[in-house]
Amino acid sequence: MAGVSTKEIKNRIRSMESTKQITKAMEMVAASKLRHAQARVADSRPYFEILHGTIADIVSANSEFSSPYLQKRPVKKSVYVVIAGDRGLAGGYNSNILKLAQSEFSGKDIQVLPIGKKAVDYFRAHKIPMITEQYASAADMQVGDCFSLAKQLCKMYLAGEADEIYIGYTNFVSVLSQTPSIMQMLPLIGHKTGTEDKASDILYEPDSDEVFAAIVPEYVGGILYGALCESRASEQAARRTAMDAATQNADEMIADLSLKFNQARQAAITQEITEIVAGS
Amino acid sequence: MTAFALKIVTPDGLKYDGMAEELIVRSTTGDIGIMAGHINCVVPLGMGQAMAIIDGIKKYAACIGGMMSVIDGKVTLVPTTFEWADSIDKDRSLASESRARAVLADKSSSQTDIKLAEARLKRALIRQSVAEKK
Repeated sequence: MAGVSTKEIKNRIRSMESTKQITKAMEMVAASKLRHAQARVADSRPYFEILHGTIADIVSANSEFSSPYLQKRPVKKSVYVVIAGDRGLAGGYNSNILKLAQSEFSGKDIQVLPIGKKAVDYFRAHKIPMITEQYASAADMQVGDCFSLAKQLCKMYLAGEADEIYIGYTNFVSVLSQTPSIMQMLPLIGHKTGTEDKASDILYEPDSDEVFAAIVPEYVGGILYGALCESRASEQAARRTAMDAATQNADEMIADLSLKFNQARQAAITQEITEIVAGS
Repeated sequence: MTAFALKIVTPDGLKYDGMAEELIVRSTTGDIGIMAGHINCVVPLGMGQAMAIIDGIKKYAACIGGMMSVIDGKVTLVPTTFEWADSIDKDRSLASESRARAVLADKSSSQTDIKLAEARLKRALIRQSVAEKK
């Protein structure tokens, strides 16, 4: 009996060790990708923040509200752009953002535009109408894709196919913390605090409608790109943390099993000796 | 000359953050110049050359797309791409030019391809003319 048990334990230790090797390798890959992604976030974050801040300034100071991008319409149709990852094994990264998005959907007539394979799969499984499945690879998206997607979204908004557009992405707070969030892209919103008394003497060249028509697609594209960079970095950070935890768990289990193995081996030897002594 | 605060940010990072005496950019309706004390304004940018005077030295750059805003004396330039003359990769823009010309010369190119090629050609030509002004 003891012999079978030691063999079983040995097999488990061996399989645990190969699992550990895989998780360790994945952690290292994620850590190296994370470094690149972090550099990208550091580059794109000032753009993201300044673009957002500037637009909020302009919107707060605007009193004409003639541009369709500024007008709040009764909401019939909402569009959500949701950015998730292409692969699993990244801890709660995919499920956190998808759950948050899902919780926003209730009671609305919505369409989603998923970015990343996991998002596409999730919305397909939940039978939520998708605008396109074209962006199934979040890792391959370039700046150009963001801008062409932005143009498409703005066209939909102007055509009345969408009355509000949101983006769901994961904010890269730090290597250890990533928070999923939903942000409104269209219609444009100003600063939350009442800055209405601020004189709206902004010069629009050639005029405010044309200015908004030209800059809003750029703004949406910029926000999409920024959100994408944040999400990618978050994905790698989440995967690194998850794989690190998995490696540690494997270590613990191996230590535990080794102890059991030694105990079983010891027991077998003791039993053999007892048998020999008893037999003589 | 009086200086004003200028910030230039692109998706690739912060390109400039500091004081400048003058800024000239190509808007969708033509060149527009900014000096200290400019009225608050918002201008969408076209494709073209940008010139900034920083510490009395003229600096040229290729500036494409995006917008510029002046709010409370602070100038923020948020272009899609912005390259100072000395950081332009001339070989790349020459290659891009010849590729774009090949698409335009090809009669079987689709309408969207032609549009993309035209934009690429324009960007390449701007980069080349700016790169000469180092």
